[in-house]
Amino acid sequence: MNRLLCLCGCISLLALGQDDWRTYGKNTLGWRYSELNEINTNNVRQLTPQWIHQTGVLGTFEATPLVFGGLMYVTGVANHAWALDALTGRTIWKYHKTAPTGLNLCCGQVNRGFAALGDKLFKVNIEGTLVALDAKSGSLLWETQIADYKKGFSATAAPLIVKNLVVTGIAGAEFGTRGFVDAYDADTGKRVWRFYTVAGPGEPGGKTWGGESWQRGGGSTWITGTYDAALDLIYWGTGNPGPDMNGDDRPGDNLYTCSVVALDAASGKLKWHFQFTPHDLHDWDAVSDPVLADLTVAGKKVRALIQANRNGFFYALDRTNGKFLHARSYTTVSWADGIGPEGRPNLIPGQDPSEAGTRACPGLGGGHNWQPTAFSPQTGLYYFHSTNGCELFYKVKQDFMEGQWYQASTVDKIRGEHNTGSIVAVDPTTGETKWRFEMISSTAAGVLATAGGLVFAGDGQGYLIAFDARSGQVLWKFQTGGNIAAPPISYALNGRQLIALVAGEALMTLELPHVLLVLLS
Amino acid sequence: MFRIYCTPCHGIQAQGGRGPRVTRGTHFSGENDSDLFRIIAQGVTGTEMPPFSDQMGEDMIWRLVSYIRSTTQHDPVAPGGDAKAGERLFWDKGCGGCHRVGARGGHLGPDLTREGRQRSLVYLRESIVSPNAEISPGFATIKIVTSEGKRITGVEKGFDNFSAQLMDERGNFYSFERANVTSMQREFRSLMPEGYGTMLSSAELNNLLAYLITLRGPQ
Repeated sequence: MNRLLCLCGCISLLALGQDDWRTYGKNTLGWRYSELNEINTNNVRQLTPQWIHQTGVLGTFEATPLVFGGLMYVTGVANHAWALDALTGRTIWKYHKTAPTGLNLCCGQVNRGFAALGDKLFKVNIEGTLVALDAKSGSLLWETQIADYKKGFSATAAPLIVKNLVVTGIAGAEFGTRGFVDAYDADTGKRVWRFYTVAGPGEPGGKTWGGESWQRGGGSTWITGTYDAALDLIYWGTGNPGPDMNGDDRPGDNLYTCSVVALDAASGKLKWHFQFTPHDLHDWDAVSDPVLADLTVAGKKVRALIQANRNGFFYALDRTNGKFLHARSYTTVSWADGIGPEGRPNLIPGQDPSEAGTRACPGLGGGHNWQPTAFSPQTGLYYFHSTNGCELFYKVKQDFMEGQWYQASTVDKIRGEHNTGSIVAVDPTTGETKWRFEMISSTAAGVLATAGGLVFAGDGQGYLIAFDARSGQVLWKFQTGGNIAAPPISYALNGRQLIALVAGEALMTLELPHVLLVLLS
Repeated sequence: MFRIYCTPCHGIQAQGGRGPRVTRGTHFSGENDSDLFRIIAQGVTGTEMPPFSDQMGEDMIWRLVSYIRSTTQHDPVAPGGDAKAGERLFWDKGCGGCHRVGARGGHLGPDLTREGRQRSLVYLRESIVSPNAEISPGFATIKIVTSEGKRITGVEKGFDNFSAQLMDERGNFYSFERANVTSMQREFRSLMPEGYGTMLSSAELNNLLAYLITLRGPQ
């Protein structure tokens, strides 16, 4: 009874009503922060499953669900998607398109979610198309070919809506492709602009590639970018140069791979770029969410862009001009002894891949890969998954053949060494790690921060975990029964806050017990 | 593709390691190209071979099948031992106390019923002489100290961020929540005793290997 009284006294309930999750990162700044606080540090231990929807489709689910208008929209592997009744989990409609044979994929037929504008939904299909669906029925409104899958392209990222544009990236750097960011008219599906992430001859940055290597220079854009409406700039992370871990045929910095690019929203023209890993040799893409947060750094207010980069360093940049602010390692790093004042890494010799194999840290997957991150304005902290470990990097000789696997390199585990994972909270104003929850392995799941003082994260063994956002203390956990490779979200429906995520091949929602809510109200 | 997806288990030259050597031309779950395709696409239930259909398209899997066929070589030099003598040694020296072959044997160590198909000769020799060189997934050692101070050691049956499941040497099963014990550790070492490299003569070791390589499961 005392506990309930305390809860009643402690909780400041929002006027919940409906609170949607309409875009990949909750807002276009990429925060993955819910302002709902009905579920909070005092009562999260009461969190209980509400419904579970079994999709019946096998594979790794990585999507961020969207919730609005009483429906939940989620995409799955192999061009599947569903609209579910958010109250009961019952299916309202399904979408499926059979993918063509002959796909060339590095990492499975995954998909990371819808974008929404008005009554339209947008998603990419694995074979490199962008589709618009009617949100009420799931019927196809238009389908546009982004790139040719026969050349090694594929598409997996959730699009980003900017005004009336559907902005999307592409995958395929392991097949000798040339990456880009595209914008399409939401009404017609017609392409409005394209920005190539690999600079060609005569273009700024074109001299950072040797010979014809730019033609197969990689630079995939396989995770959703962010948008600052005040600056009217789109920020997008770019992937590794190709071939991945063999730079023999691509001397130079290889712009704009392993970078973040700031693009004018209307034209797609490059405003600025920042390259985290010049001439990357370890497959350390920079695709992780470019999170936009206004910070006070060294006493000055700055409109910042922050990212836990795959190369093992956390970075903060000035997002108005791309100027480097600071960087700090958040995991074991063997390749660089810090980052210089202009943002270039201080390289440590002997870390490049070799024919005999070279040990380097982080490994191929990096310190932090693509998993969605979160920024809480309540705590001022930035949250993400991290991997701690090293790998052996080999380079081999390989000729390029269009559409074929073109990595000219490989990696191997180091005998006797076992990678571990963690959930990390970093102070973005300094890069200092404030807390870390050690895990037995790395995980593909993302994180969610809430105004309830909580951070939710999944692990590879199926646990959905709630942390105290300030201390990192585990407050609650639930065994979902499936590998969690997707980020949780939060929304309000009929005046109640819910948590939702895909675990294994099932979508589930969780909420506080009704009896508790009645007492609280 | 082989180097990316297959070498961690099957070796950079397809010579085998934790996974079987794939240069023999005969394979664990079938001999035909279509069998190979199915193995790669769907994995092999009950083994460490996962399905790859999610990562690879059909064309890519067929290319892998083609590559694997191109690596086919004759069997390696046989261990040169006496398989019958090795079988007697296996059961007399206590190997069967922990390892199972068919319906006979213990449960603590890996089931060896199909070991001759699954593992390379080099790997088997190393596993006997240096059991800690590489631990098969799911066979690490779990050490628990309960809140009452009781120490329990066993082979891993499950391990995650919050709990552990283990079986001790007597075959007793335990499950613990990390929050309810004083300590919970997973060590990547084997419960199999070290020293068989010196306890067994060279001839005995070869006999044992000759026996293990004959273990190919139901045909």
